Amino acid sequence: MTVTRPETEAAPAVSVSPSKEPKRFRLSHWDARYTPYLIIAPFFLVFGIFGLYPLVYTAWVSLHDWQLIDGNQGFVGVANYVELFGDAKFWNALFNTLSLFVLSTVPQLLAALGLAALLDRGLRGSAFWRAGVLLPNVISVAAVALVFAQFFGRDFGIVNFLLGFVGIDPIDWRAETWASHLAVSTMVMWRWTGYNALIYLAAMQSVPKDMYESATLDGAGRWRMFWSITVPSIKPTILFTVVTSTIGGLQLFAEPALFDPGFAANNSTGGSDRQFQTLVLYMYEKGFRLFDAGYAATVAWMLFVVVLIVAIINFALTRRIAGKG
Amino acid sequence: MSRRLVGSAAATLVMVLAAGCGGGSQADGKIELSLGLFSDFGYDKLIEEYMASHSNIKIEQRKVKMEQHNTQLATQLAGGRGAADIVALEEGVVSQFRASKDKFVNLAEYGAKDLKDQWAGWKWNQGTADGGEFVLGLGTDMGSLGLCYRADLFAAAGLPTDRTEVAKLWPTWADYAKVADQFAAKTPNVKFVDTGRNVYKAILDQTEEGYFAKDDSYIAEKNDKVKTAFDTAAALGTKGQTGALEPFSQDWNVALKQGSFATTTCPAWALALIKAGAGDAAAGKWDVTTAPGGGGNWGGSFLAVPKQGKHPKEAYELAKWLTAPEQQKRIFKETGNLPSQPKVYQDAEVQATVNEYFNKAPVGQIFATSAESLKPTYRGTKDSKVGPVFATALTRVEQGKQSGAEAWTQALKEATDAAK
Repeated sequence: MTVTRPETEAAPAVSVSPSKEPKRFRLSHWDARYTPYLIIAPFFLVFGIFGLYPLVYTAWVSLHDWQLIDGNQGFVGVANYVELFGDAKFWNALFNTLSLFVLSTVPQLLAALGLAALLDRGLRGSAFWRAGVLLPNVISVAAVALVFAQFFGRDFGIVNFLLGFVGIDPIDWRAETWASHLAVSTMVMWRWTGYNALIYLAAMQSVPKDMYESATLDGAGRWRMFWSITVPSIKPTILFTVVTSTIGGLQLFAEPALFDPGFAANNSTGGSDRQFQTLVLYMYEKGFRLFDAGYAATVAWMLFVVVLIVAIINFALTRRIAGKG
Repeated sequence: MSRRLVGSAAATLVMVLAAGCGGGSQADGKIELSLGLFSDFGYDKLIEEYMASHSNIKIEQRKVKMEQHNTQLATQLAGGRGAADIVALEEGVVSQFRASKDKFVNLAEYGAKDLKDQWAGWKWNQGTADGGEFVLGLGTDMGSLGLCYRADLFAAAGLPTDRTEVAKLWPTWADYAKVADQFAAKTPNVKFVDTGRNVYKAILDQTEEGYFAKDDSYIAEKNDKVKTAFDTAAALGTKGQTGALEPFSQDWNVALKQGSFATTTCPAWALALIKAGAGDAAAGKWDVTTAPGGGGNWGGSFLAVPKQGKHPKEAYELAKWLTAPEQQKRIFKETGNLPSQPKVYQDAEVQATVNEYFNKAPVGQIFATSAESLKPTYRGTKDSKVGPVFATALTRVEQGKQSGAEAWTQALKEATDAAK
């Protein structure tokens, strides 16, 4: 990002002999030049302490045999990374993470878009509906997960009970990979669809109404207007939600953790055969159950890389899709 | 200006951090001690009394779930701050923390070795290291094994209901499996046992060496006892005689309330969990008797003092008082946590204790007898890492995802990795 200000460009031309330059002018010149940096500095300071430092420190830890309690046991180079690439549990966790991410994020954002379009149509009692869609997001994730874990109970769960009416045999939601992914995704969608819908709604309301009016005159239907006017107009907002959902989705932890009844006990592996163990859950298992902090740090770094890659792909894809209109 | 801003931000940060890790001595001159516990140690009343008799001491209890407690403690020990002045170490993880004993106060420095004879020998040994020279923790309760069963469901299946008769049904775990077959034939809609995992754990807790030999070498793949225990539990799972429940989970509670299983392994501390889960409606339906295969120990804890605390001496005095015979006896009467001290569990009053909820079962006598005959299992340093691998393997069998043999093969492979 480059910031060019007209004053700074003009400045050298005026100050041919800097010694004669009035002090007052120099001060205001410096002010214009450096104040913006000063104002954003606190963010970077805090980011440095709570973001960058842990990031670098984690990288350092990942290059060591590091036990959680006893600390550094010696430098091992990239041995942890080599082990990680041959670790079937890591690839399994990566697959689960990506699967859960796709299963929850794609329908979630589409549903949010639809929900926002409905809310934008001026319903009666709009404030009530708008506040309502945000409710699931306000409720603590632990509470949501506990309730959903009950819904998806094998023996006495309400979902299996309802499926029974249409003649479907009870499903063991924690035993089958696809079933567990579906259940966990439902939880994520429940929590975040409304939140994203509100963000879309805010963006939709700033789309100039005369565009719709002229489109109506041209004979465009609602569906056409939605895809040709609304969606392209809120492109930056869609980009924003895609990126934040990506970061959140790939760091999925609380929902699958609490969906696993073993999490309260000592074996939180995300299912009996790691059916829904995400990367963060795997990191937790390594770091906080097996106390292998070095390896956990390695998983954390790989997660960082994965998030980065997926975010870049997403960014490019969304820009292209939304850019069509 | 910019430097001043950085300076003031740093100062604020330091203040925040300092406030965060404060604690210890208070303005009113009292020594503040914190107790890091999980589940119910039954200390509420005792602590009030202690504060009343020690006017210079203020005690704060911190209770969290056991898993969270262990994880928190590990990070607090690693970070060098934040741990309570006294922390509870559960029997399953004490060996793991023993490996990091330099983070704890050697209680022998305060004369703990003089207390040695209070405890059952094995209990004392579990809490010590270096051949008894390093005293890591003082024993609280123990988890002497019993077996709980639903008398009404036994009656429905045509089985005896009296606890001595029931005990005669299953001298060994093989007999227990036979009873399971009989039960399943008569009442196919009720599971015989909640989970194969607890059966497996109970059988293993009746052997002296499990995953690790007493020299801490890993022996799971060549120890027949591990295989036998696994096979017994897996067979129950394969036949669908278990509820395939996660022990002590919400689902387990629901199943208790619905009466969907008839037996469960019962270490002394589990009585309270069953009562809480099954509720008043099931009062008198559950009963407790001797477990197949003799005595065993599952659970029970220790009180240890992390080095990072500011008042190790006062912390030791409190731990010593809380684990003293008189207090253990009172805790047993109030919560049912079995004392780990022979003199206490042999005490006439303890022996005469009956549990109203469990059909007036003479729990004092049942658990004390079991305690007398128990052979404590040696817990390796990595026991808590290896154990869960076999537990999830049994869940796979119960879920019908794998055969017993497949689950065993995968578990051995994973366990070998975990024991590295």
